[in-house]
Amino acid sequence: MKNAKLKIGLIAVTSLGMMLGSAASSAAPEKRCTAGGQKVECPTITDAEAKKASEAFLKEGHDMEEGKGGSTYGIAPFDYLTGVGKRSNSDSKTFKTDSGYGGEAKGGLKTELWDRVKAPSSDGVTDKSVYDQWTNNWSPKFGETRVAGADPNHGKTYYYSYCIACHGWLMHGDGPSASELNPRPRTLTRGDYMNKKTNLELFAVIKGGGEQVSLSSSMPNWGNVLQDQDIWDIIAFIRAMQDVPPPKSVEEYLNPKSTFKPIKGDVDALNAAKSPEFKELQEMIESEMTGRAPGTELVGGGYVDGGNRKKPTEVAVKVK
Amino acid sequence: MQSKTKFLVMSALSMSCLMASAANAAADKSQVIPGWQVAVPDGKDTPTIDPMMLYSSGGVDGKMAIIGLPSFKTYRHIDCGVDTHEISFGGSNKGNKNGTPDGKYVYLNDKGANTICEFDIQTGYLARVIALPFPFGVHHIALSTDGKHLFGTGEYSGKMAKVEIKTGKTEVIDWGPSPSAPDYIDASRDGKYVFAGNYYHSTVGVFSTSPFKLIKEIPVGKNPHGTDVIPESTLVLVSDKLSATMTIIDTQKLAVKKVLPTCAGPLHSVMDVYNKDGGSYRAGIDSPDGLTSKYAYESCFVADANVKIDLKKLEVVDEIPTHYRTGHISISADNSYVMALNKFSTGLFSPTGIVFPVNFEMWDAREKSPTYGKTLRIMPVDGEPHNAKSLMSYLVKDWTKGEAEQGGLISGRTDLLDPPHRAFSKRYFIPKETTPPGVKMVDGVKEIHMKAFSYGYIPRQVRVNKGDKVRLFATNIDKAAGITKNPDVTMGLTIYGPYGQRSNMDLPRGVTAVHEFTADIAGEYEIFCTHFCGPLHLEMRAAFFVDDPKKGPSNLAVGDYDKAQHLPGLLEEGQLTVAERVKGL
Repeated sequence: MKNAKLKIGLIAVTSLGMMLGSAASSAAPEKRCTAGGQKVECPTITDAEAKKASEAFLKEGHDMEEGKGGSTYGIAPFDYLTGVGKRSNSDSKTFKTDSGYGGEAKGGLKTELWDRVKAPSSDGVTDKSVYDQWTNNWSPKFGETRVAGADPNHGKTYYYSYCIACHGWLMHGDGPSASELNPRPRTLTRGDYMNKKTNLELFAVIKGGGEQVSLSSSMPNWGNVLQDQDIWDIIAFIRAMQDVPPPKSVEEYLNPKSTFKPIKGDVDALNAAKSPEFKELQEMIESEMTGRAPGTELVGGGYVDGGNRKKPTEVAVKVK
Repeated sequence: MQSKTKFLVMSALSMSCLMASAANAAADKSQVIPGWQVAVPDGKDTPTIDPMMLYSSGGVDGKMAIIGLPSFKTYRHIDCGVDTHEISFGGSNKGNKNGTPDGKYVYLNDKGANTICEFDIQTGYLARVIALPFPFGVHHIALSTDGKHLFGTGEYSGKMAKVEIKTGKTEVIDWGPSPSAPDYIDASRDGKYVFAGNYYHSTVGVFSTSPFKLIKEIPVGKNPHGTDVIPESTLVLVSDKLSATMTIIDTQKLAVKKVLPTCAGPLHSVMDVYNKDGGSYRAGIDSPDGLTSKYAYESCFVADANVKIDLKKLEVVDEIPTHYRTGHISISADNSYVMALNKFSTGLFSPTGIVFPVNFEMWDAREKSPTYGKTLRIMPVDGEPHNAKSLMSYLVKDWTKGEAEQGGLISGRTDLLDPPHRAFSKRYFIPKETTPPGVKMVDGVKEIHMKAFSYGYIPRQVRVNKGDKVRLFATNIDKAAGITKNPDVTMGLTIYGPYGQRSNMDLPRGVTAVHEFTADIAGEYEIFCTHFCGPLHLEMRAAFFVDDPKKGPSNLAVGDYDKAQHLPGLLEEGQLTVAERVKGL
């Protein structure tokens, strides 16, 4: 086991070396990105940070395989045949749990996992943060939005699902796939860069992909996966996370303080329908989308009620 | 009827044998000399005669497996095609997800080839392939109540289909403008409606069965998947993948009745089913009317669990840990066992290579059992199983001991024993490449470099011209799937339809998979992931356009779709039913 780990570690180091090598060959950072009309260096993580992230993911993989806490695998103990921690719903006297977990739960006896879900504890076994993240949707809740007609709380869910693999859990551009991409995914919390980007630019790159804005093809177009309103909600979430540092406490994590101030005259979810620029962009993006047949084109992205999404006019979050 | 009695007697006998041997196991231990001629009594083992069978869709291996319950012994693998998805027994859909099998046929849809395979349950062979019209992209199928039709969802075209099983006549209707992505489907048990989830809209579409048309869309939670009707036909249970909820739809009002927080990453539900007298429903013996259910079991991908839902109170009453990442979920025909069809086996089994096995985990659902909630068996499974349904073994006649020679096994020439559209193609691995994503011409070959990550492909759209030689390089760049952080994610890449068999690729980490073929059939064909990589696996799609210069850019209306439907590699016409597109079925 130790040997195997060492081997994998070596492979990781080798591939990182290759990666660093290729990065070194294009030594002078190219100013490929645009912010506020200026050409700037694209905000991404450094090679050292990519290396660190890559190692962390490898370690996490090993921990999961060993069933250590801190991963969702560690949460559900393996009970094959032993039934450790299991208890019967119907007969408390005959079929007692071996683990001592649980105790009398309201409404009859439940399995061990049930008790944990109901009351996660800091017992060193249950990783409360991971479990809460999923079962209780434990993550920042936003009382206000910086993009009119868009709800960062909804955008957050989609971010965590679709964007996270490359852009990372804290939007630092250090997701599991980040080190595999060249150029690297953007750090989405860099206010000096992101705050100068207009909503229209963000909308274009999310819906139409990197190539839509003459950037890397590594950013796919999401127009066939996310509805326009979902994309607006994601933009609102990004706006709500500008210059937010890695949280030091739960309190900090739940209450991020963003530096973003809306750009004057910018398009937002509420006024997009009236914007000629937005209309032009939509036509351009949608003409290239898949799943079309004459007569079945989307008109401006369309809107379907569902997934708890709200029309821009019905988004109840107040505008900051 | 006689064979049934025989079966009961036999099982009673074998049960008593087993119990006796279990009791003697400890005492026998020192006396038994192990050897090939001595069967060591093992109380932990199960009888070799299985009272129930599980028909499992093999997914990416293109096969259907038949597995014994509760022995969990795999009996057979039968070929269907490329990437199989939903199992549906012929007969009627009355009952729970297992329906009311009549013991004649079992249907299995092939998402990769856009077909439906029909297997003869009695011979255990493939009987027919129904090639569906293009463009469609069948995700799942559901049997009608009268057993005459199969309804299908066209995930890759935003369309829905109603197929007459006998003739293959197929009515295809649009579900609004694309993209709409109908995926999971079920039909009400009163023959009235079809319900299909749509992960792009986050709605459930309600269709009347006759005339076949969209009635309404019901908004549900985020990215719904499982859309399952309960035996009473009064409720539809919708698993909202990203909302961690179950949306329960009232089939009378066609409106949401309740939204129930269930678990993280819910995907599918099954229910138990009881006959009028409260006993387990026995298809072919009990009346299929007035069936009831007590509990639903929902698979929770992210939470690594199955939750149990009381269908009277509509609340979660228990949660059972599974190992790991349950995708589909199945229940034995007698309600005793729930099978979690787990998509990850991290750290569980001995390695066999770089594609990690998924597993089936059987846990005891009998509340009075001392092992209630416990995992009874867990086994690694080949392929990437997509769903499994169970029937009572008495529905399959025992054709051995000369029975088959007495006649009655088949009544005429069988149409088909193997899928005729198997296309040979060249596939290989190379060391993991670092070429950036994109398309380039190399020595007259169009080289396409694609990266797969959770959850998508780059580039998202690929265009080639008809007649192009294509070399497709696909690399899995996941270090850990973003949403669930799984360490051992295998991706897949299949271009559905005529390119299905030619492109069907596993993408384990650490290598690049290469595929060479000629793009000879024009059209727009979606690319999809064939390994269940995470809760948004379904949303992992791209598109492969083969443009015919004479016809202009391909889209869902422009392409060689008639040719595509005949499936390359077919030698003899008539070996498959080419479903004829009709209006108003």
